Amino acid sequence: MKYFYWVIAVVLVVTILAVLFLPGVDDFVEQTFQRYLGRAAR
Amino acid sequence: MKITMRMIIIIACLLLIPFTAVATAAIKQRFADGPNRVFSGGPLVSGEIYSGPEPDWSFVNTIPTIEMQLLDPPRSRVIWSVEHEGKLYVWSGYMGTTVGRLWKRWPVQAERNGKAILRINDTRYERELVRIQSGDELDGITAAITNKYPSQTTRTAVETGGVWLFEAAPGL
Repeated sequence: MKYFYWVIAVVLVVTILAVLFLPGVDDFVEQTFQRYLGRAAR
Repeated sequence: MKITMRMIIIIACLLLIPFTAVATAAIKQRFADGPNRVFSGGPLVSGEIYSGPEPDWSFVNTIPTIEMQLLDPPRSRVIWSVEHEGKLYVWSGYMGTTVGRLWKRWPVQAERNGKAILRINDTRYERELVRIQSGDELDGITAAITNKYPSQTTRTAVETGGVWLFEAAPGL
């Protein structure tokens, strides 16, 4: 379980860095979020 | 019992990944010059401020979306707009649902303080948002909306509060 927590922590850091600095990742995240939000709001 | 607890922790940790991605993207957008899709952007900085006579707003009917920033709070978002009889209108749907009210907070903020900046084709327009809830002009405005967008906005929806409609009147 300890190993799992480490993996999750690393994935979270990588996720944050990718969204902040990799071109297009933030837009992909927003687009995906928009899709689910639109469905939920109906 | 221990296995159930572990499963809950694992699922929560996995859900944390998309949540973190969404939160990071939303925070990042707050520091940008304008919005992108659903996340609010920062103040509209670039683009010349329009000065002169009231523009012929009919050109917005060929533009899918515009950017709008309220002065208070100074956040911007992408919205739909329509021109009808020389006036410019913006609106927000989903105002009759709980998720919609949580998602769309700008209409409440605009009703409190309607001062806004619209950025259209890299030009910024200083306007005052004035909510319209009734009147015969709603028929024409909602018809213009449904002509332009795949929207089911009706006069009744505006009158019952499901759609909050604003005229972007000259202002500031």
